[in-house]
Formats: sequence, C-alpha cells, structure tokens
Amino acid sequence: MHNPVTRKLVNETHNIFSMLQGQVASSTGQHLQSQLVLSSKQYRAVLKACSMELIHLAETTRNEQQKQKCEEQLEIFEMIQLIWGFCQILFIEITPDGLLLNQLLDWIKWHFTEGKQLAVEVIHDDLPAQHPAYWEATFRLLLQGEIDSVRKLLSLNESFQNEAFLSVDELLRKMPQWTHYHHALSAAEFDMKWRHWREECQRRYEEGHYSAFPDLETLVMVLCGDENVFSDIKDMCGTWYHLLVSKMLFQNPTVRAADLHFYAETCIEEFNMSGSRMGELDNILLAAIQFDIHQVIKDSSVFLSTGSWWFVAHITDLLHHCGQLDTQNLPYGSNLREFLILEYATSLMSHKSLWQVGIDYLDYCTVFGRTYVKQFINHMVLDNEKKAQKLLHICQERNLQDEVQTICKVMGMKSLRLGRLGSALAWFLRSKDVTATSKLTERLIEDYSICSKFQYTDILDNLGPAMFLSNRLTFLVKYREFHKLYEKQETPEAASLLLSLLEARLAPRTFWITLLQDAMPLLEMDKVIFSSSQTYVLMHCLEELRHELDSKTDISKKLTNMEKDKLDLLQLCLTRNLSKAIKEEGTIKSS
Amino acid sequence: MEELNLKFVSQKISKIKWQPVPKQSLKVADTFVTGSWDDDVNKICLWKVNSGVQDENLQRDLEPQKICEAAIEGDVTDLCYVAEDQLMVTSSTGSVCMFKHNNHTGLEFCSIWKGLHEMQGESVSCTCIGNRGDDMVATSGEDGRLIILNINQTKPVRIQDNADSCTINSLTFLTQSEILTVNSFGQLKIFDIRRDSDQPVNIFSVNEDNTPLHCVDKHPGQPHIVAAGGQDGMLTIWDIRKDKYPMTLLEAHSAAMWEVKFHPSNPDHLFTCSEDGSLWHWDGSAMNILTNLVAFCWVERMYTIAPMSESSPWISVESSRHKLEINSLLPNKSLPVNSLDIQDSILLCGTDSETIYTVPVPNLC
Repeated sequence: MHNPVTRKLVNETHNIFSMLQGQVASSTGQHLQSQLVLSSKQYRAVLKACSMELIHLAETTRNEQQKQKCEEQLEIFEMIQLIWGFCQILFIEITPDGLLLNQLLDWIKWHFTEGKQLAVEVIHDDLPAQHPAYWEATFRLLLQGEIDSVRKLLSLNESFQNEAFLSVDELLRKMPQWTHYHHALSAAEFDMKWRHWREECQRRYEEGHYSAFPDLETLVMVLCGDENVFSDIKDMCGTWYHLLVSKMLFQNPTVRAADLHFYAETCIEEFNMSGSRMGELDNILLAAIQFDIHQVIKDSSVFLSTGSWWFVAHITDLLHHCGQLDTQNLPYGSNLREFLILEYATSLMSHKSLWQVGIDYLDYCTVFGRTYVKQFINHMVLDNEKKAQKLLHICQERNLQDEVQTICKVMGMKSLRLGRLGSALAWFLRSKDVTATSKLTERLIEDYSICSKFQYTDILDNLGPAMFLSNRLTFLVKYREFHKLYEKQETPEAASLLLSLLEARLAPRTFWITLLQDAMPLLEMDKVIFSSSQTYVLMHCLEELRHELDSKTDISKKLTNMEKDKLDLLQLCLTRNLSKAIKEEGTIKSS
Repeated sequence: MEELNLKFVSQKISKIKWQPVPKQSLKVADTFVTGSWDDDVNKICLWKVNSGVQDENLQRDLEPQKICEAAIEGDVTDLCYVAEDQLMVTSSTGSVCMFKHNNHTGLEFCSIWKGLHEMQGESVSCTCIGNRGDDMVATSGEDGRLIILNINQTKPVRIQDNADSCTINSLTFLTQSEILTVNSFGQLKIFDIRRDSDQPVNIFSVNEDNTPLHCVDKHPGQPHIVAAGGQDGMLTIWDIRKDKYPMTLLEAHSAAMWEVKFHPSNPDHLFTCSEDGSLWHWDGSAMNILTNLVAFCWVERMYTIAPMSESSPWISVESSRHKLEINSLLPNKSLPVNSLDIQDSILLCGTDSETIYTVPVPNLC
C-alpha cells in the first residue's frame, strides 16, 4: 500500500481528518452536517487525484511489474470511489426532500463515461449518423439523463427534419427535469408534471408516429419507461446499479432512498438471468441500498482493506459523525469507528516513516488510543537524538511521563555506553532521574580521584539549579567550585566551602581522604585560615573516618600504610593549626 | 495576492536549501535541494520552481518540479553549499558526502568522508555543517567533536575532540577563524580555530534550565547578532560582544524550534519553524524605524554619530517588542516543520507530513 502515490493519499487525507475532528468537537447540527459533506467530498477529491496520478504512472512506466501494481491499486481505488460516492448520497449528503435521483445520475455519469466518449467520437466523424456507434452513444447518454446531448446527436441525423424526429425532439425538450426547477417545485407537483409528460409520450407512441424508425421507437419506449425495453438495452448500462438509476429516471423520478431496494431486486435479477454473478462490489452496494451499513463496512473491510484500512476507517468515521451508526459498543472494547481507526493507525505505525501520522489518528481514539500510543513509543527505535526529541515532544504533549523517563534513560544509557558521560548526565537531568544521576556522578568523582582533573566542565560549571537533583551531584559541583576558589586564591571562602562539604556529609566516605588532604595546604599557610572551632570539626571528621575504617573487617577496604601515614600527617597539621588558631584567637587584636 | 504552493513529495523532509546564485548576477534563485529522513531509503532531491524572471511573459509558478534524486545512507541531517555548484550532505550515519551540480544528470556524487563522527568505533549522527566561504567546512555531531574539513582533502584538517560534552546541534562560522555552536545543554559556544586548545573561547547559556538549543543563524550584516531557537520553542537573540545571557528572549513556538533564518538581504525579517507545525515570519521593520529615530535623537544631543550598525531592530527588541509583527504563514497546523530557507521573495519549508511549501513573501527583495 505504501508506494509514493498512496503515501500522498495518507498524508493529504490526514489533514482533512484532523480538521474534521476539530469541527466535530466544536460545532453541531446543520453546520456540522455541511462540514461532513465537505470532508467527504474532499476525501473523494484526493482519492480521485491519486487515481489520476496512478493512471499517469501506469502509462509512463517501463517497468512491467510496477505497471501491474499500479493497475491493481487503481482498480481498488476505482471501487472505493464508487462505493464512497454511493454512500455519500445515501447516508451523508441527504437532501431535505429525500429525493436523490439527481445525485444518483451524477454518480453514474462520473463513473460510467463510455457514453460520453462514444458521443465525442461520433460527433467528430464526417458523417455522424452513419457511425456504427451512433445509436449506442445516443442510448447510453439517454440512460444517463444527458437529454441535451441526446438532442444534439439526434439533430445530426440526416432525417432530423422528418416529423418523427421533430416529435421526439419536442418530447425530450419538454421532459421535466429537477434541475430546471431549482427545487421550487414540491415533489408532488413535479410528479404531476412528469406524469402528464409521460402520458404524452405514451399517446404519441401508441399513435404509431415512429414506426418508420425502429431506433427512434425504442427511444420513445425508454421515455415511456417500458419494462421490456430496459431488458433489451441493459447491456448498455453494464451493471445493475446503472440500470437501476436509468430505470428510476424514466419510471419513478421521485423515488425515495428507502424504496430503492424494491427496484434494485428486479434489476439484479435482470442481470442474474443473463448469467453474471454478484461480485463483492455488487454485494456492498446492495447492502448500502438495504441500509445495512454494518454489512457495507464489514464487506469493505474484508474485500478492500488488504494492505490498508484507509477506506473503511475514514468512511466509518464520517458515518459515525453523521449519526448513521448505532453507538453500541462492540463485544471487544470500543465502538466500530474506534476499532477501525485503530486498525488503520496500526498499519501506519508499522511503517518506518508514516508513524507520526499514525499517532495523530490514535489521538482520536478515546478508549484505546492512549494505550496504543504508549505501546508504540516503547517499541520505537531511537536511532538518533533528533528522533528522540521528536518522540519526547509527542510524549510531553500527551503527558506520558513514564515514556518520557524511558526515552531519556535509553538515550542516557546509550551515551554512557559510548563513553559520553556529559551527554548522559544531560539526559538523566532532563528526566530528573535521581538514581541514574547519582550513579553517574559517582563515576565522575571516581574519575577525578584517578586523574585529578575535572572533565565535562562545560556542563558542571553551568548546571544551575539542576545540581540539586542529587546530593552527589551537588557535592561534585561544589567541590569543583572549591578548586576554582582555591585557584583564584580566595582561601577563606575556599576553606569554609570545604568545611561545609564535610559537615553536610554529601561526599562519599571514600572521598573523604581526598577532601581532608585538600585541607592540608590551607592548614599549612602562614595565615590562620581555619578557626579553632573549624579545626575541631575537621578533627572530628578525621576521627570518624579512622574509626569507621578500622572497624571494617574486609582487608581490602582497610587503609594502606601510605594512607595511614597521610592521615597521621594530617592529624599533625590539624594539631598545629589548632594551636595557632587558639593563640591568635586569644590575642587581643590591636586596632 | 499570490497563493502559497503545497506539494506532497512522499518523503518526510528533514532539510531544505536553496542553491545559491552568484552574488553579482541578476539571477533569482530557482533551484533548491531537499533531504529526507526516517525512511527505508533516504534521498536528496533537486527541485526547480519557475521563478518567472527569465521570461516576462511566463507566469511565476511556485510548484516545484523534481529534476533528480540520489540515495543517501541514513537520515539526511544537514545540507550546505560550499560553492554555487558543490553541495555537502551530512547524515545520521556520521558521514559527510559531496555532490556536484551537473547539467545532464542534475547531481553527481563526488566524494564521501565515511564515519567521520564516531564514538568507540560506533558511528554517531553528524548533525550539522557550516561553510566558511572557501574550501573549508566545519561539521559536528552527537560525539561533540568539531571537525574542520578541506573539501579537497580526504583527511580532516583538524579534529577538536572535546569541543562539547553534549551534542552540537548547529554551527556557523562567525568569522574566518571563529565558529559558533549551539548544543543540547542550552549553550552557545564560540571556538577559535587558530588556538591549539579544544576549549571554547566563550560559553553563553540561555537560562538555568539548560533547555537544548537546536538552531542558530547569524545576522547577515552584523555577525555579532545571532538568533537561536530552543527545544521549548523560545527565540533568543544575542549580542555576542556583550552579555553572558541572551539579550532577548522571545516566546515563540509551543514546541522545539528546528530552524531560524534571517532574510539574507533584508535582515529586519526573520523566519522560524517548529515541531508544533508552524512557520513564522517575524517582521522587525517597524521596530527599525523606531530605533533609527532613537539613534537620531541620541546623535542630536551628544553630538556624536552612532555607527549605523547599532541600529539593528533586533538589539533593541526588548524595548519595542510591541512593534514586532509576527505572522503565521501556514494555513493549518499539522505535523512538524523541520526546515526552512529563504532567498529573495520565496520562502521554502519542508515538513514531516511529506510536503514542501513554497511561500511567496512579497516586498522582501
């Protein structure tokens, strides 16, 4: 289904669909009804345009296989157009007076064009009346109610000046036609005029005006609505539904939709007798005439949705909003409309590129749409960041928090795997994932302990409030700040920051040795940086660390000798600093 | 009033670009190239519109006609012309290709830099490319590397490994030696390629939320004024000589802004497009009258002549934002608009609903 031409159909009708759903939500009554008719026409126009393009493609392509595919697709499109046009007349564009012959004629004219083509051929002949298809063209046009064209053809006959021809021409001219009255007439008035006219036809026929011209006689018999003559020329209709419309034109022009199926049966029989069997298309149209919409949808689903549910999904949506479907729920969940739209959306979601359209359709499925969206998003391949950003937007628009988390996590883990820790951090921060952020920060702290160099500073220095997401991260950022202060020789600020880091116990215990060591150069300065009370805090931290490490039974976690020496040295520095601090604090400052 | 043209092309368009016309010539741009994404086989296509200039009698027809196409491995992520007939294409497979225009077949493949952007042997998306106006181009990607290529050499001229901790989403040359990048952490960075260090000369942040930035464009006449668009749809205008933070934050689209562009010859006009399916025209010309007026008063009182370059409306937009006229150009919102480009009086954009819009923008020549 998803070749370049049908993809246009998918995308173009998506716009019509979305627009219509908006209208459904905002308007009611007459206005909505006219919108529905408009949308139905728009869908059909797009379908027609795609058919034209397929025809063009089939004609121009040199690839036999592609040509065949085009033709198959084209055949399906033609059938869909036929059914859609018919359904529009019966269920969507209902005229106030319930009369539908004019629309049916338009429908027939639109889909059966042989008559017109023949007529063009005949007219362009040097001797039109001698053309072998002269009478066939005339009858075909007559059966479609193209009265003016029939008169034109008759006027080309060499015997036109004969009285019989002039008489027929007069009858045709006088034939009452709805379009001429612009609905200024009531159905009963029109019926009266029409009966009057038919009596005139019958009278002239019985008087034997036309016996010299057998073809002309047949023509007048058609005008009289003679049952037998229709049997004779039914092949010019080709199908029972064409025959039905033609018969109605001359037998019962004020027929109502509800009565159509009475007449349909005889037409079908007419064709059955000559051996042609009812195909799927016939059954669908017959079901429509019988107002069995569910059967229409069911048969169309089976017959026309191989590869795509495009047709049934859209027509069912229209019929649903027209109030033509009973809103009862299906035994398996939601209503018919939603069921079919879900099918269509699913077929789009399985396409590599059309899934965005599918998501939009799912939005209009109130019962299951959301669950489907979630499922599809969870199975989407996240090739690159841009796609991930687009998916995130889709989730955020629909407030799918869990899926947002998942996407960020997947992207973060991918970055992690590729050794892009900065990017991973950005993803975890985005989803406010505390655990992952803490884990990652620990790795960053570890990296620092190993190489004594800060990495990803472009991120760390610009985190802003995001650093408060995890204690570990807060620590890392503050620790980096300490180093920056120290480098700038703002020692008192650096010292108090270091102290607060220890006091707040944000750092992992294993990092305490590093922190305490960082205090050493500050302790060794000539000026007293840490006051006595601050020194007590540091000493307390040192003891706590020692105590904890000593209590560990695991040998590997115990201190190495070198580390022990370091701590001893630190102890010494602290003691010295304490004495210095007490001394200075005890001295009365000379002002 | 001429209507816009909408063409369904059966491919989601990720990037769209006019072929440049020689500066001195009187020709009007009529050929452009598009790149697709997220398809089984992605393509670049060459299109032509009838701009109606060559022949006075011919009605201008905005419907683009396809001239040729070429398959690209991976998603097309960015397009860039190095000369009038040399096109660079970047892809999500981390590769960069070069094509040359050719009068017979349309586009002719020239060379490829395969797997230029990779991490630990795994290729990652090359997200953007910018040209310097000569044979040099810069590319970057999800690996945060900044790579300088000479189109005549197979080996990169320079690789800045740790240019960014995150993904660089867009870049542009500010001067011959300075490159401006925006990344997924909401930062704008300036690199000086003359320096040995990988570190940027300057880092600017939009705000404390670190919302990713997706696109950037510099003012054609005043390269210190740049406009950037973010994940939240915000338009930010910066004077990179001055502030650490953007000088102006303009709330714009309701979702990610994918591309921002100044009109090349009429930079009082700005165009943006977004994930929310909209395409906007920002008309700052009314503000310009105001700023010129202010500049004039200033001159009167201080007896100094303010340099004309100071009178860009985008700098003073904060004080006169009510004069800024914003128009939405597309008839109805649908799927995301991924890319736009403007030359003369025709604006192009490509969308995820597989359409190309050619929008006439009158009075902008």
